[in-house]
Amino acid sequence: MRIVNPAFGVSATSGEKVALKPVNWTTDAIALVSNSKPNARELLAGIREKLGATRKIDNIDFLSKNSASQPAPKDVIEEVAAKYRGALLAIAD
Amino acid sequence: MMKDITEQEVIDLPDMDVEAFNEFAVEQGWSDGMPLYVPTEAKVAKFVDTVRGDNRPIPPVPPRQVVPTLQSMAANAVMAGCKPEYFPVVTAALRAVLDPEYNLHGSLATTHSCAPVIMVSGPIRHQLGINCGSNCFGQGWRPNATIGRALGLMLLNIAGAKPGEMDRSTQGNPAKYTFCFGENEEENPWPPYHVQRGFAPTDNVVTVMSGEGPHNLNDHGSTTGEGLLTTFAGGMSNPGANTIYGKGPMLVIIGPEHAATLKRDGFTIETIREELFRRSRVHVSRISKANQETYTSTGHKPDGDWFSIGRSPQDIHITVAGGPGKHSAFIPSFGGTTVASVRIAG
Repeated sequence: MRIVNPAFGVSATSGEKVALKPVNWTTDAIALVSNSKPNARELLAGIREKLGATRKIDNIDFLSKNSASQPAPKDVIEEVAAKYRGALLAIAD
Repeated sequence: MMKDITEQEVIDLPDMDVEAFNEFAVEQGWSDGMPLYVPTEAKVAKFVDTVRGDNRPIPPVPPRQVVPTLQSMAANAVMAGCKPEYFPVVTAALRAVLDPEYNLHGSLATTHSCAPVIMVSGPIRHQLGINCGSNCFGQGWRPNATIGRALGLMLLNIAGAKPGEMDRSTQGNPAKYTFCFGENEEENPWPPYHVQRGFAPTDNVVTVMSGEGPHNLNDHGSTTGEGLLTTFAGGMSNPGANTIYGKGPMLVIIGPEHAATLKRDGFTIETIREELFRRSRVHVSRISKANQETYTSTGHKPDGDWFSIGRSPQDIHITVAGGPGKHSAFIPSFGGTTVASVRIAG
């Protein structure tokens, strides 16, 4: 028998390849982005502190979006893209 | 499991009975756990025929970001048990949750319990037999049961909201199976909801909100509108509501008997909103210190000693549904969402 696939859809993302340069986590500028849920900042602060044992951390900064339920605003995404080579997101509760 | 099945719009399967198909569907992750109808090409074609002429494109559906075809949408409606004539309502419901302000991605991925609440307005309620009266949120009416279920299956299969994977809800909500009802326009002493929003009374409209289940507002004793609003506001004043910090909309679905009392005492939709907004504020003494600090630090400051449960009275959306009895319902939302209304094509 022939059925229609209920999960079928055409991908909306382009097939264009994006060249990604590797991140050097021991030296590059890193953004630590909080989703503003309780303890996200504390979790990221702990990560920053631990990274301090192996690298300089004055180019590791905290950023945040102001609502866990909403996407990050465009200006935050653009800031991460412009100023940092890597980002760590606190997205869980 | 077949590896490349998601890339095929039509799948050739060995002939199998309904039970075997259901086992296959579970293996594919297509099931909400209840039995499914088989979405054969022939059945799907009958559904698609009902929306011929509605050529507005469907945007990509998050989180999976794929554009479904009418066939794949219809396959979910078939599986849900819809009749073909329900399909224009189902497609309108999908268009409504794709309103960017509805925040489909967030509402599907959240740990909150929210599910799409679907309300149908206009003459199509009677044409399809959608229950607007007694037990309208409950069981027993095929369109209520299957229209909501069809949207849920589309969000599972097209959007990719797999429970425990992309759908991270802590406890979920029975409304994730289905939550669809009709306005009781005939016993609404105020303009029907879709007319409040600028549609014509003869328009058929689907309204959606990412909401919790209905919270009952029981008031058998109050004989005045003033008394009813005291009860309603008390039931809405909830320090555990998402909207206390994730400011957003909510529905108040007033039972016809309560509505008649409020109307008799001179209340309008606007004055009810204003009274409920003011009276449902939550005193800081009912909110933990830690939560007060969190809300305030993320920009949701109290007004004096009170946290409001929305941004303004306009966040309270009001209409009438249900049958005889002294009950109404409060349906809080996810918070970061909107109430979206879409006219049903045709």
